[in-house]
Amino acid sequence: MSIKDKLEAYRGLPGFLAASLNPWLVRARDNPERLAFVLHRVTGLTLLGYLMLHLIVTSTPARAGWEAWDGLMEVFAASLLNKTGEFLVAGMLAFHGLNGVRLILVEMLGACVGRPVKPKPPYTPPSLAACQRRLLYLVFALWPVLWAVAGYVIFKG
Amino acid sequence: MARASSIQLLQYVTAILLVFLVSLHVAERVPWVAEVGYEESLRSEYVSRIYSERSWLLLLLAYTALFHGLNGVRGMLYEWMPGMARLWDTATLALFLLFAGVATYTVVALPPLE
Repeated sequence: MSIKDKLEAYRGLPGFLAASLNPWLVRARDNPERLAFVLHRVTGLTLLGYLMLHLIVTSTPARAGWEAWDGLMEVFAASLLNKTGEFLVAGMLAFHGLNGVRLILVEMLGACVGRPVKPKPPYTPPSLAACQRRLLYLVFALWPVLWAVAGYVIFKG
Repeated sequence: MARASSIQLLQYVTAILLVFLVSLHVAERVPWVAEVGYEESLRSEYVSRIYSERSWLLLLLAYTALFHGLNGVRGMLYEWMPGMARLWDTATLALFLLFAGVATYTVVALPPLE
């Protein structure tokens, strides 16, 4: 069985990983909502890991004093490794935040999903024709812009 | 344990709060907003000033982000192995208490800058 066949077979499995966490195995064609769903999970999970690490690092002055903090920042603040990490986190934060605002509008407030209709064949969910899809494209359009601005601040600021 | 619908509502409320709190937190490092260079914003003089002026805001941000993130992970763990719901509840609550404790300790035990 070739790798392509294996991937194809894996895609059909109703497994947790294939269904919800792996953005590389998601059928995104004609289904950008699914791609956004998976990206939201992956970025959220990574941001939680970053948050925990961030809380431990920022507790340095309380644990070891301001000298230890300055020593740590002398090594890390201007390093390319730190800046690249912050750039990646900024990209994840930008997507998670923008998509989060969309989810608040669409899921919490029910905006942009249209009114429910009786399902007569051929059935097309009204939400697919409503403006939520345009909102999603707006998220995908604004994301690289916001990420680029963050990159400018991180590497040039 | 609260009802699932109440927790989901809290998830949305914390999301709205985070939009504002994270924006403010990030703005503290943007040169043309904070009037301090990006790398300089990590120096102890600037960081200690932020801690002393807005410690309650930083704590609120930490608690809100921890709740939002760990509740999101709890939902994923429920989907992954629904039979172990009690373990996931306990594990995420324990992580919340641990890291909320770290955040609180950071603010409470912060020494003055000499």
